[in-house]
Amino acid sequence: MKTKKLSALALSIIMAAGTFTACSGSNDSGSDSNAGGNDNAGNGDAVQSTEAVDADSLKGKTITLYTHGGNRVLGEEKKDENGNTYRDESYAYLKHLAEKFEEEYGIHVDLQVNSTEDDIRPLLQTQDPSIDIYTSPNWTIEEWQTYAEPYCTLDEAKELYGDYAATMYNDGTYVYALMPAKTYDNAVVYNEETIKLAGYDSIPTTQAEFERLCENLREMGIDPIAMHRIENWPMATINDFANYVAGANDAYPGMLKSDTPFSENEPMGKTIRMYTDWKSRGFFESDIYTDFGVAMDSVGNGKAAMMLFGAWVVPQIQGRVPEGVDPNVIKFAPAPDFGNGQYVMAAAADSYAISKGSDDKEAARLFIEYISEDAQYLADSGYIAMKKGVEPIVPDLYKIIDDAVEAGTCKILFRYATDNNYMNNEEILTEAALREDYKYAGNLFDSIDVTKEPDWAAYDAQVEKQNAAYVEARDYLGYSWE
Amino acid sequence: MTNETKLYKVIRYLFLIGACIFVIIPLVPLIFMAFKTGAEYSSTSVLEPPKNFLNTYNFKYAIRVGNLGKAFLNTAIILTISLIIQVTLTCMVAYVLHRFDFMFKKVVKIMFTLTMFIPVVATQNLIFRMMYAVGLVNTMWSVILLYSGVGIVGIYIMLNQLDGISKEIDEAAYIDGAGYFYTFARIIFPLMKPACTTMIIINGIGLYNDFYIPNLYLNRDVQTFTVALYKFFGSMATPFEIVAAAIIIGMIPIIIVFIFLQKYIYNGLAGSVKM
Repeated sequence: MKTKKLSALALSIIMAAGTFTACSGSNDSGSDSNAGGNDNAGNGDAVQSTEAVDADSLKGKTITLYTHGGNRVLGEEKKDENGNTYRDESYAYLKHLAEKFEEEYGIHVDLQVNSTEDDIRPLLQTQDPSIDIYTSPNWTIEEWQTYAEPYCTLDEAKELYGDYAATMYNDGTYVYALMPAKTYDNAVVYNEETIKLAGYDSIPTTQAEFERLCENLREMGIDPIAMHRIENWPMATINDFANYVAGANDAYPGMLKSDTPFSENEPMGKTIRMYTDWKSRGFFESDIYTDFGVAMDSVGNGKAAMMLFGAWVVPQIQGRVPEGVDPNVIKFAPAPDFGNGQYVMAAAADSYAISKGSDDKEAARLFIEYISEDAQYLADSGYIAMKKGVEPIVPDLYKIIDDAVEAGTCKILFRYATDNNYMNNEEILTEAALREDYKYAGNLFDSIDVTKEPDWAAYDAQVEKQNAAYVEARDYLGYSWE
Repeated sequence: MTNETKLYKVIRYLFLIGACIFVIIPLVPLIFMAFKTGAEYSSTSVLEPPKNFLNTYNFKYAIRVGNLGKAFLNTAIILTISLIIQVTLTCMVAYVLHRFDFMFKKVVKIMFTLTMFIPVVATQNLIFRMMYAVGLVNTMWSVILLYSGVGIVGIYIMLNQLDGISKEIDEAAYIDGAGYFYTFARIIFPLMKPACTTMIIINGIGLYNDFYIPNLYLNRDVQTFTVALYKFFGSMATPFEIVAAAIIIGMIPIIIVFIFLQKYIYNGLAGSVKM
């Protein structure tokens, strides 16, 4: 009997242990804990050209690159003559580049597409050697420090990239992701044929004229601006437009300077008010776009005229124009003058980082350098090569902005990597429950109901509420402008 | 039939029709979407029927580009192995808990119950590292191992079934010289078939639809259906007409299983509620 009891107990305990691994569904991507620790003892290797590496010793290796830029691996999403979706592989620039690299160096690059950075986070946390290179947007510097091998020192990067080096992800000492090209960020993406219908050949340079264009379009039944408000992330573009309103590159961290950052007398408040005013006047989409792809389609097919986004959407919309229409009708121009001149944000683009767990860091570095020296690949991707000694090829989509910069009518504002003011402002907004989903802009934008007579008293009340919450959080955290 | 009875009948039918509409409405746009072209999808309302219900382009594209055939095979392998292990282990645990008295029996029962209150996500960071340490990440064995664990709901279903199997059967077997394992394997286990079927169906559907575990552990070459489906989602734009077609393809095995096993599902669910 004793044997029976013991064997029963043993069996039950084994089963109980098994149950701890039993599971059910949830699509949370897991925790953010730091498996690898924050080891900054990087190798600090200098940025080197592909010629400086002993490539022969790396022949036969395979490196893996994870990227969120699926269109450069799988091809651009397009519609065939029947309207069906397909991938045009001629646009798979990164895939073609990797094949060329393999031919030249004998190193195979396995390209993997991830939808978000969360897809690769568990592998980075365990320092899985199956990731060598990854691209990732919108990470904090702490995350870069945790998961990425320091690529080089900031000083070394400055030698080869000049001032742009400071816009790469860095902590003041090391650069964590090489960003070998520059891009112009949020401005006006537009369908030239559509605005011509409203009597304009180009995007007006003044706010008043820009708004007249929007009114003309609206009266014609065309959505002036496709914003895709159903998702939250498009609200982030307001930060850049606030810079244009301010004529400076610090409107977002600069909220720290004021007790009333959401009031109309401050750049952020003024910009959100301007967006909301445009909304109340019917300048944004009249319908709900179920997906950002549909929003881009609407500009491609002329249902909407413009988008206020970065250059990265231009090739994607060009791929969506109807069959027989010249894709070059989709153009990119500076935002109008909001009172302080015309500006465009310029930032380092296309981040490539080496994973701390990579077994083939040398081969990974060689490929990243190879990318940085291929001006055509960077131009095809919509960027301008920045490395010294590399002749840049300026993509056609930048022509209007380049001409305006050249003529001195539009000035460039650099977007620098995050600093203390930026981080402190983020923390204050988090504390005030305004950061998540860009509520600091979204709450105000959504306070006006376009189906009714605009109630600006409700908007003003929300401004007061947010100002108070911001100041309370700022004082609680003890931050001020540094 | 009295007026009152008629009124109740009308109300009953209205309620059921309303419930059906509530369930069916979300499926209608999905079916419409699957037959629309990409251009049609972006230019028409979701409730507008497609121009051509014979447009199978999205289905073919989803199968080819999403490699759904391989994904279905992986899913089938994972489900088959893990459900066999899970059901066998659950039956064994339930049998022991039901038939035998032993030290700490209550503690063991409490341990099983406690696991209900531990969120899966909370333990995954640690489990992922353990799986990684033993080299199971990116192999289907990691998912099989996780799916094979015994759950308290399964144990309750089995315990309920065992309530209906007389202990005299066990005792008769012992008198005839059968050991514990023989009695369990040859006599009790076959009698637990209805509960096993219920568990296979309930857990099978749950595991088939699970996204979190396969996405976490099988991020690269070995993909289940749900992970393959997710690969259609872009960081910004997603071809939803293709996704809709893929979802419909994914519903087919579940519908087939339901049609053939619905008798067991209803019976099993009704029986498992009784504690």
